[in-house]
Amino acid sequence: MALVALRNVTKTYPAPGRNGSPIVAIDDVSLVVEPGDVFGIIGYSGAGKSTLVRLVNALEPATSGSIEVDGREITTMPERELRGIRLGIGMIFQQFNLFNSKTVWQNIAYPLRVAGASTSQIAARVTELLDFVGLAEKARSYPDQLSGGQKQRVGIARALATSPRLLLADEATSALDPETTQEVLQLLKRVNREFGVTIIVITHEMDVIQSIATKVAVMDGGRVIEHGPVFDVFSNPQNPSSQRFVATVVKGIPSPAELAVLRERHEGRIVTISFRDGDASQAAVFLELAAAGVGFELVYGGINDIQGRAFGHLTLALRGPDATVDGVLATIAERVDVTEVA
Amino acid sequence: MDRLFELQGEFWIAAVETLYMVALTLLIGGAVGLLLGIVLYTTRPGSLLSSRPVFTLVNIVINFFRPIPFIIFIAAVQPLARVVIGTGIGNNALIFALSLAASFAIARIVEQNLLTVSPGVIEAARSMGAGPLRILGTVVLPEALGPLILGYTFVLVAIIDMTAVAGLIGGGGLGNFAQVYGYRQFEPVITWAAVILIVVFVQVVQFVGNWLARKVLRR
Repeated sequence: MALVALRNVTKTYPAPGRNGSPIVAIDDVSLVVEPGDVFGIIGYSGAGKSTLVRLVNALEPATSGSIEVDGREITTMPERELRGIRLGIGMIFQQFNLFNSKTVWQNIAYPLRVAGASTSQIAARVTELLDFVGLAEKARSYPDQLSGGQKQRVGIARALATSPRLLLADEATSALDPETTQEVLQLLKRVNREFGVTIIVITHEMDVIQSIATKVAVMDGGRVIEHGPVFDVFSNPQNPSSQRFVATVVKGIPSPAELAVLRERHEGRIVTISFRDGDASQAAVFLELAAAGVGFELVYGGINDIQGRAFGHLTLALRGPDATVDGVLATIAERVDVTEVA
Repeated sequence: MDRLFELQGEFWIAAVETLYMVALTLLIGGAVGLLLGIVLYTTRPGSLLSSRPVFTLVNIVINFFRPIPFIIFIAAVQPLARVVIGTGIGNNALIFALSLAASFAIARIVEQNLLTVSPGVIEAARSMGAGPLRILGTVVLPEALGPLILGYTFVLVAIIDMTAVAGLIGGGGLGNFAQVYGYRQFEPVITWAAVILIVVFVQVVQFVGNWLARKVLRR
């Protein structure tokens, strides 16, 4: 059974002025998150992803549509009951949102106090979580004495305190440097693997998705414009907006400007060959070229690894008589995508 | 100078009266102001327990009373003082007027300081399933404690200042002492003795306030 199921969910905010029209933040979104997923939601700022994630723990009420969490419809639930639902959903934030007046220990203990845990239960759980995030020696420190990465680790420990099944990460690494980002992402990966916690990750950075997500939804203008397994979306993005996101981490077909540079440096015809895991291997393609007596040079592109599956786009400069090149390209095109770029 | 020695007894009584008025005002006005400030903060649109009618009402009441100059305010609330505490004159009547005036000032200061608490922190507490009252007590107030202490220190200094007009309705204190025995009897030394003691009070209050706030803010 799905852990989170959104059906035709819409969220509108009242018009800002007297004569303005209402702002549509979420526009008819349907999504399913299965237990164990690391579900990435990517989009530019203003795409509605932060609003979407706040609908899942009902920090914001949906305007219409249905939202089921763990099989329970939450859009019609009274506030008091929603608090119980929120206890089962952890959340971490871009700005960490730690309580500055409380120590690391008290921060992590807070949700347990809300849940009504006993002092001894709290002590055991906080100790366990401090060990898990590697901050045992910082228990008595205050948040302003920690680095950004340490703060987010406290945030993660706090979000996990009540052993939730679902963790919402709202731009959790966007305020961190690349190295710390990786550290936090690896920690989230462990949370997913070791505790089986389902994670919804909101981000505007494609490498965050590439690093940890198993599924991804691309949002634009309040709508989900494309979603599916990360490998599919990365290796074959359908929507122009998705393609732009994928282009930030995957070198695809060279842009006109890049082509001009390549053209200056290389003679012959330039083609881009796209490989996907399961298609013909590179070796087979290169053998064909060699057998036909076509000289080739790799001028652009790369191979990417998504969850152990490889795909990529290699741009080659081919040298040989036109007829021969045409012939061999026709043969290759039967197995992989070939795009003649110049 | 000799006159000051003659009036030593009155001087120390006046000092104690000032402290008495300030302490009671801080206690009553501080509590009522805190409550009003919390009501303003929690009922404002989009806040923890937003309620437009309550917010508007409290807001208007505060805005109505706050600009009234204190020396006129004392006279204006004298009938109310007679009803509530049974007298319109003396130190207690002044404490009544002062507490009322201080409540409105403190309400604003409390409201402003609570508003400095980051909405993100409140959202985090909500995401953990905490209810509005719990968030208020365990997140908002502790997070704003440092600035609140500085705000109360500021008000306390203003209260010391305002007790000086107690003489208007037959109250005592250092302000009255300075006027009666100093100003009206052409004794600048007496006036200055009262001034210096008031300055000492203010300095001590400010020092303690700053120290407490620093301790809370750990800076």
